[in-house]
Amino acid sequence: MRNRSVAVTTGMVIVVASVWLAVTTVAGQAPGYRAPRTKDGKPNLNGVWQAVNEANWDIEGHSAAPGPLWQLGAQFSVPPGLGIVEGGPIPYKPEALQKKKANYADRAKLDPELKCYLPGVPRAMYMPYPFQIVQSTEYVMMAFEFAGAVRTVYMKKQQAPADSWMGWSNGHWEGETLVIDTTDFNDLSWFDRAGNFHSDKLHVVERISAASPDHLNYEATIEDPNVFTRPWKISMPLYRRLEKNAQILEYKCVEFAEDFIYGHLRKVPLVK
Amino acid sequence: MRRTFAVAMTGLALALAAAPLRAHHAFSAEFDVTKPLTLKGTLSKWEMINPHSWFHIDVKGPDGTVTEWMIEGGSPNTLIRLGVTKYTVKIGTELTIEGYQAKEATNKAVGRNFVLPDGTRLFLSLGSAVPGGAPATEPVKP
Amino acid sequence: MHSRVLTTSVGITALAAALAVVLAQAPAGAQAANAAAKPAAAKPAPATTQSAPAAKKWTLPRTPEGVPDLQGYWTNNSYTPLERPDGVNKEFYTLPELRAVEKKNAEREEEQTTPGTIADVHYDFTQFGLDRSQTRMADNLRTSVITNPENGKLPPVTPEGKKRAADRAEARKKQGAQYDQVQNIPIGSRCVYMNGAPPMMPPAYNPAYQIIQSPGYVTILTEMLHETRVVPTDGRPHAPATVRSWLGDSKGHWEGDTLVIETTNFNDKSAFRGASENMKVTERFTRTSDDAIRYEFTVDDPSTWERAWTGEMPFVKINGPIFEHACNEGNYGILNTLAGARKEDKRAAEEAARRQARSEEQ
Repeated sequence: MRNRSVAVTTGMVIVVASVWLAVTTVAGQAPGYRAPRTKDGKPNLNGVWQAVNEANWDIEGHSAAPGPLWQLGAQFSVPPGLGIVEGGPIPYKPEALQKKKANYADRAKLDPELKCYLPGVPRAMYMPYPFQIVQSTEYVMMAFEFAGAVRTVYMKKQQAPADSWMGWSNGHWEGETLVIDTTDFNDLSWFDRAGNFHSDKLHVVERISAASPDHLNYEATIEDPNVFTRPWKISMPLYRRLEKNAQILEYKCVEFAEDFIYGHLRKVPLVK
Repeated sequence: MRRTFAVAMTGLALALAAAPLRAHHAFSAEFDVTKPLTLKGTLSKWEMINPHSWFHIDVKGPDGTVTEWMIEGGSPNTLIRLGVTKYTVKIGTELTIEGYQAKEATNKAVGRNFVLPDGTRLFLSLGSAVPGGAPATEPVKP
Repeated sequence: MHSRVLTTSVGITALAAALAVVLAQAPAGAQAANAAAKPAAAKPAPATTQSAPAAKKWTLPRTPEGVPDLQGYWTNNSYTPLERPDGVNKEFYTLPELRAVEKKNAEREEEQTTPGTIADVHYDFTQFGLDRSQTRMADNLRTSVITNPENGKLPPVTPEGKKRAADRAEARKKQGAQYDQVQNIPIGSRCVYMNGAPPMMPPAYNPAYQIIQSPGYVTILTEMLHETRVVPTDGRPHAPATVRSWLGDSKGHWEGDTLVIETTNFNDKSAFRGASENMKVTERFTRTSDDAIRYEFTVDDPSTWERAWTGEMPFVKINGPIFEHACNEGNYGILNTLAGARKEDKRAAEEAARRQARSEEQ
């Protein structure tokens, strides 16, 4: 009798454990969290969110390092980061890796962020500033502080008319998850300040789901046959900005970048 | 058909647009009114970008060498709402550009007119841009 | 609020409060407020040729949250100037007069420029669909956007406003010639700011907007420079006074079926028509049909104008999409222009040196 009840209990434990393992996502979502619904029955991802990591400096794991200007001391040095790339280094093709290294060597001149250029996707999602998701039935928009960048996710699929910095995003729901498929990028944005780059064949598929009342799980699969040998993934939490009346603010940085972009064409050179 | 630009004043004061063309005066600083040109070439790329789009044209010289020119055109955003996409103007399309050369470089210009081999102007011939306007609709009651 | 229990109890409390108001037979405050919202000077509109009687009754669409639905692609494209043109002494055109004005403007846009003139040094707007006449007109019969003052003109500028304008012009002169440095070039050409701040006047081209609504927010995307205003509608306070910006800080609330947005916290560079950073703009959006939104605004800046002034224009539906306006990213024009100016400086300097050498020889 006792052996049988032990066997039954063990069996139940095994069944429950298997179900739990199957339900848990790679990003470690607690099983069973169901986001509140919007009135049209979809998971409510509205809010002001922000990544809290060092991916904008370098999406791969990296050590602390000096900044580009010794005059700024430790203030603009590079903080260390665990990285958000899953499973090993970014799988560059050999010639693309050479280009990445060249980008890195010249990053203080080449990083498009220096010119207040639109950050592209997925970089906009992990720049260290808040962004806001506004979710309607037909469109999900994300408004970012940096350079006032904005993404429109078309929930009724549409073809991109032309290439762009932020790409063209079509989205759909898979249960709790917002799946965003983005293509038709230009080849001009970088993934981070470390020179990680892509071509205009970049294809990003993001999966966003609520993991608790105050954080989302975010993952993105990145594919670019011109640059990488295979698709690869990034993943990270996105945290809700919980301050009372949290809002995104205007961060128009073009004026701050103009001397960098046009300074060499001044009639009277800037005094260095 | 070119005719002299005439300012026509009537009993009804012309209701001009509230916001003037901000960048208009800058064009004569960017491009040289004393250097008009006509180029003939094939399209290698149309950068559908803002604030102005740029056409990359391969122009064959008399000695057979090919030079790439960059020709400035208009913002693509309204054309996109009229149905134009990056597939509309095919790579290799023959274009005659009537325009003015840039003050800073030899192979940049603004395209006053982009003319197709049949003599019609780009986008007008594709039926996308509508000279004379979108169809009038009833004015909204104030 | 993520707790269903909390949401439900708030809901019940709100319902009880609403019942209490009804039972107390409070006066129709909301009605009075809406009526007072229209400027007292507004006269009833003359009839247009639009026939209404047989049309089916239109119901104001609502979002799933139950607020008026303002969503879609819209334009405020129009030839109507902010101020009433000199020589026009009435508030409304007749329909034939309006059509004549539009026809004249459309023909003017389509006219070819003369080769060899400054005006000819530009791509042809008509070819790129950029003439005003090639986007749907959000026209109405008004002779000016300004409805109050009654003469359709801006109110007188205060002495402080005049001084500020003079100071700004003086500062601008000190900066030097337009192409000495990028900072001397107009702000729109620099892709710093074009349009989209309240009050929303139509830009010279690409007059497109998209409105989407989410619970407690109305988001307005302006095509030029992809300006995005994410406006909460719960009546929350403005950002601190030390946080200023080009588009200001917009906070909204519903008054009946009208969205009211109040914007403050402008920086001192925005300067709409010479305004100071203390300008306050109050906008009112009311959906009037499937096809249109009535947009009214009041500008209040006592340090610039002797009194507040009001304007009105319709927004009408257009098709999308709104394509990315990555302006700074594509701004070859400024690079070309500055490089050309430096080349010209060099040429002029060399010419001056030659002349100097020649005169020394003599």
